[in-house]
Amino acid sequence: MAATPIASPIPVAMYPTLSVVTLAIGLVITAFFFIYEATSSRKNRSLGKELAAAAVASVFLGFGSLFLLLASGVYV
Amino acid sequence: MKKTSSVVDLLLLLLAINVLATPAFSDLVLSKVERRIDVTSQIARVTKTLKVVNSGSESVSEFTLTFPKFLGNNLAYLTVSHSEGKGKAKRFLANLSVKEAHAKGTPDSISFYSVSLPKPLSKGDTLTLEVVAAFTNVLQPFPEKITQRDIHLVMLQESAQYLSPYVVESQSLSIKLPNARIESYTKLENSKVQGSEIKYGPYKNLAQYSYAPIVVHFESKAAFAVAEKLVREIEVSHWGNVQVTEHYNLVHRGAQLKGEFSRLEYQDRPNPQGVSAFRHLLARLPPRAHSIYYRDDIGNISTSQMQSDSKKTELLIEPRFPLFGGWKTFFTIGYGLPLSDFLFASEGKRFLDISFGSPMIDLVTEKLIVQVVLPEGSKDISVTTPFDVKQSHEIKYSHLDIAGRPVVVLEKNNVVPDHNQNIQVYYKFSNINLLSEPLMLITGFFVLFITCIIYTRADFSISKSSAAYLAKLQWDEVLATLQEVQNIIQKCLAAHDKLEASLRDLSRTGDIQTCKAARKSTDSFLKDLSKELRPLLASLQSFPSASQISPKVEELVAKEKELQEKLMAKHTTVVEGYEKKSSGRDIENRIASQQQKIVALRQEVDDLVEFIDEI
Repeated sequence: MAATPIASPIPVAMYPTLSVVTLAIGLVITAFFFIYEATSSRKNRSLGKELAAAAVASVFLGFGSLFLLLASGVYV
Repeated sequence: MKKTSSVVDLLLLLLAINVLATPAFSDLVLSKVERRIDVTSQIARVTKTLKVVNSGSESVSEFTLTFPKFLGNNLAYLTVSHSEGKGKAKRFLANLSVKEAHAKGTPDSISFYSVSLPKPLSKGDTLTLEVVAAFTNVLQPFPEKITQRDIHLVMLQESAQYLSPYVVESQSLSIKLPNARIESYTKLENSKVQGSEIKYGPYKNLAQYSYAPIVVHFESKAAFAVAEKLVREIEVSHWGNVQVTEHYNLVHRGAQLKGEFSRLEYQDRPNPQGVSAFRHLLARLPPRAHSIYYRDDIGNISTSQMQSDSKKTELLIEPRFPLFGGWKTFFTIGYGLPLSDFLFASEGKRFLDISFGSPMIDLVTEKLIVQVVLPEGSKDISVTTPFDVKQSHEIKYSHLDIAGRPVVVLEKNNVVPDHNQNIQVYYKFSNINLLSEPLMLITGFFVLFITCIIYTRADFSISKSSAAYLAKLQWDEVLATLQEVQNIIQKCLAAHDKLEASLRDLSRTGDIQTCKAARKSTDSFLKDLSKELRPLLASLQSFPSASQISPKVEELVAKEKELQEKLMAKHTTVVEGYEKKSSGRDIENRIASQQQKIVALRQEVDDLVEFIDEI
């Protein structure tokens, strides 16, 4: 069997763009989360809503920061 | 020259004694030996073409290669291949296996290497062997100490006759020097100088272990750059990069500098001095190398130049100072390489195919340590190298690691550029492991959010019974109730809008039944909402701190109720009008006054909602 070259799962040239996009989405959701935390009163705050926002924001921020590391040359 | 000749004399004596004690080797005869020694760099590169004939009666499968001990001790690289044909039609065939063999009873002043022949050589057969050997440290600086003004002279010791355990029928030697400036050379019969080349021979019918010492003393401008220790770290990231970091401990191994160094004389334009020093080093990096850096403990070193094309990347680096004999420097270079150029998949395994030695040209490495850092989660690691290296395994902790990355450490002493052959590191790796890094980051962020959630829910007050604390608790409840009231009012207003929409639908389609159904559902919905509103209002009134707000809220509820009634009345009027089949204008006239009130009420309700919003 001939040896086939292995490339990265996502083209290296895409990392900067991806990091900007995912971090932007992540930060918007984070902003929503904190606004919700600050404005809703203690009694009628919904845990489900908070957890959902936290989960989605952390997925975007997690991938965003990974792509940021890769784009800046820190190959983890 | 006195000193060298005495050394050589001693050697000759030793050899002469040893020759007598040598056991008889097989009946091989070397019908023709051509030796070429290239000393244009600091490495003595010897190539030999040996024509072997079996003159005995038994077939032979082993061939013994010999070097004088002082050369053999400095042997860095040795390959033996056999060839067919002559001149341009010459073809090199497979490399033969060579191992050091020191048989009992053989002289100590000779190094023996045993070569296994591709097939046993039977009686009368001939075979041509090509030997390539590289020696380090055999060019001795002489004098050993020079000043900045002096030229760099080195000395090479060899034998004009080929040292061999076999009889040699014809032998010639040529030594290629860097330039024509030759201080002295041993003159024997049949020796001559042609430009920068010295030729000895041909010599005919030499006995076993013939030895004719020669010494060549000449000028060398080559950089005697030796890396005392070189650590190459090759880090593989499956996210698309192979990062190479090389730490050099470099020394100039030529004649040592005597006296002091004068920068002024060194940079004197018409007659620059210090030819024995070198100021540049050239590294030939693989193509598409990127993110190249060159630094030391102080920081970035800005004196480097880079040129790249599709075949190679050339990095010319200049240390912080010119290196004279005995001077040392330390620096680090690093570069990234695209993953797909070096990492391959084959038969379910992945392998890294990368050059072993330093990319520096004509650099001798005394101790080379290659650390191949594989991604976390790599298994079944194995290494194939074209030559022997010392192998060990380590664990390295780097960014976002839990279990650490497996590291293959390869060590080899006395490495010359001939060792720049590719090594293969095989391992198994699943792409699922790639997800561990983002998952770790995601978990980190999620923990942060969870902390915030817990923080906003936690009660950090020390005194649970103080008036201020109780007032705060109550105020929280007031706010919560207010928010619920607001939500219900919003729902009511939405229901109103729905009702209006049903009226508009009616005027468009004339479908009274649908409109009535909408009215019915809205009616019951609004009733439910007002039921929900009642306990909230009651609780709001019970809070003393809400005394300022509750009248406003009550007003809001009352206005909303009024609005509701007016809207219902309007709805009834319109529907009745349609049932009686009154004209559109008639209906409009009838509801005109109601409509005005509705608009006014809606305005008031909106104002109140806004007021409550601001609390």
